[in-house]
Amino acid sequence: MSLPPTVTPRRSRGLNARLVMVGVALALAWLGVGYRLVVVQGTRAEEYAARGRDQRLHTETLAADRGTIFDAEGRELALTVDSVTVYANPAEVTDPAVEARYLASLTGQDPDEVEAILSGEGTFAYVARQLDPADADLVRAAELPGIYFLEEPKRVYPAGALTAQVIGLVQPDTNEGLEGLELFYDTALAGTPGQLRVERDPAGRTIPQGDYSVTPAEPGSDLVLTLRTSIQYAATQALAEAMARTGATSGSVVVLDPVTGGVLAMVNLPGFDPEDRASLLPENVRNRAVTDLFEPGSTQKLVTIAAALEAGLVEPGTVLEIPASIEILDTVFQDFTQHDSLLTVTEIVAHSSNLGTILLGEMLGAQRLHDYMVAFGQGRRSRIDFPGEAAGVLQPSEDWCITTCVAGTSIGYHVSVTALQMAAAYATIANDGLWVQPHFVAEVVDGQGSRLPTAPNRQQVVSVETARQMRAMLAAVVEQGTGSLAAVGGYRVGGKTGTTKKYLSESGEYSDEDVVASFIGMAPIDNPRVVVAVVLDSPQEDASGGTGAAPVFSAVALAALHQMGVPPDAP
Amino acid sequence: MTAPAQPLAFPGAPDLRLVAVARSRRAPRVGTWLLLTVVLAAAFFLFIYSRIALDHSAFVLQEVNRQMEVEEARYWQLRLEAAELQAPERIVARAQEMGLTYPESVQTITVPGMGAPGIGADERWADLKALLGAQP
Repeated sequence: MSLPPTVTPRRSRGLNARLVMVGVALALAWLGVGYRLVVVQGTRAEEYAARGRDQRLHTETLAADRGTIFDAEGRELALTVDSVTVYANPAEVTDPAVEARYLASLTGQDPDEVEAILSGEGTFAYVARQLDPADADLVRAAELPGIYFLEEPKRVYPAGALTAQVIGLVQPDTNEGLEGLELFYDTALAGTPGQLRVERDPAGRTIPQGDYSVTPAEPGSDLVLTLRTSIQYAATQALAEAMARTGATSGSVVVLDPVTGGVLAMVNLPGFDPEDRASLLPENVRNRAVTDLFEPGSTQKLVTIAAALEAGLVEPGTVLEIPASIEILDTVFQDFTQHDSLLTVTEIVAHSSNLGTILLGEMLGAQRLHDYMVAFGQGRRSRIDFPGEAAGVLQPSEDWCITTCVAGTSIGYHVSVTALQMAAAYATIANDGLWVQPHFVAEVVDGQGSRLPTAPNRQQVVSVETARQMRAMLAAVVEQGTGSLAAVGGYRVGGKTGTTKKYLSESGEYSDEDVVASFIGMAPIDNPRVVVAVVLDSPQEDASGGTGAAPVFSAVALAALHQMGVPPDAP
Repeated sequence: MTAPAQPLAFPGAPDLRLVAVARSRRAPRVGTWLLLTVVLAAAFFLFIYSRIALDHSAFVLQEVNRQMEVEEARYWQLRLEAAELQAPERIVARAQEMGLTYPESVQTITVPGMGAPGIGADERWADLKALLGAQP
């Protein structure tokens, strides 16, 4: 029996080769997996772990609460509340026309404008900014496709236009100060943002036991102002009435506490409503009492005569012979009131005699007059805590012309001031000769409740005796002179009228028609608690300080004295 | 079980017997193991429960925080509303609706005991205002 020859089938060799190839392929695959495993779990483990962590970890900025602004009576003038902004992803909006009509009915917008927003390109568009949460809830309840919501802090001003020019504005997007005290104290009000690091799941929920760290936001400081809303309101009403009566184009009222230098009220008209930014005019945002200049006219006589008294050149009873006119080159100075040719210094003030004041100015000379004007706060910023304060215009005495400059400056020409500067000058006389830096903020209260009172600068300008003598003269202006309409029932008051031709900066000439009418005074005259400055620009009726501005002083001073509980001092 | 005693073959020796003690077999300590198991199981369940409770607390805390934010927002809204209600313009308008008007003239009343204006007058005035304010 013979065995068949051993035959190795060709098929079997091919099978083995394929098996080897598969084996090699599998081995390579396993090597690849192994290599990847080593990379993922070994060499680059930290990197992958970090990438995974970053997908879960979220860092959020915690907005600091912006500080509240209070008036002196504890009323909120500016505070921050929650609001809801509605935005759209136009790509997800199914029916822009229908959704726009519905949204517009809830937000009070124009349906066409909303439809244009919803029909736009891109994936993000604001529909309505900073809605009241209750209004936003109505939109939310509609569950409109492509409509989303974003919570935002919103700055609100409960007093509205009443204090708008003082408080100012913030940028709506960022809540950064833009104007007024909001701008000046922006750093203090803003606070410091915090940070939150938290692990969240894909649905946005916080993962318990996950990483969590928080750096709390430091809330902004609160401001407590010297301003009193009640006096501000009275001043606004009185000024509005005067502007309607006289046809003045604009006006300002400043009320100061002469002892502390605190601003009790500051009003400029026309004003603006901070909640209605669409109709906001830049010129109405300006706080004219701090930024706008005018020539003080006869109200400047307080400075000239106080300087002459302080320099010992005259006394209140000193009699001066007043000429019919004073002519310097082609300029003729005259008086506009009827009076005797002999006047005491007190009568010069009472009758607002230009010529008598010029005589006193000439006695002082340019240098001394200039120095007293600077001491009273003219030609320099008072450094009030408000942005954009004007320094005024007062040339150095060596630059004064040798002809009309002393005479003109004595009676309030050749010099430009703000209403605030003049109020502070009169407050110096009211405060026994001590000039106090005007200021709005009484104290800053930080997030921990620490109170930091402001400390205004003080400077003795004239003696107590000179200040007392000047107050007696100012009382005579109201009781016997040009300021009779400034009288306040129950109180003895004093002040000075001013009527100056309006200087037209465009043409470099004085207007033949328009004047600036002013009255600045104090009450009660023996122990002044308030100083009120009133300035009317271009009144057409009652176009003088005595008839246009003095009644405003009377109304404001009465309201202020009542609000401050100052007892009457006159029958 | 003990084997029977065998006498030792020592003449004159006392009757001593060698007793072979059988190897004692310890009973298994079932109670200890059982206790250990129970303790371990209890610890395990306690651990699980603690984790669940902790997770639950985290969610509760999150909800409380959310509620706190809602209440805080409501607080500020109420403060805003109070401030708006105090606005002089609103009060004056409301007063005028109710028929209140400004007096045509202000009359000053001299109260016996108030004394003359001057030092201390402010305090006396404040006292009087407080007194008047307390009247029905």
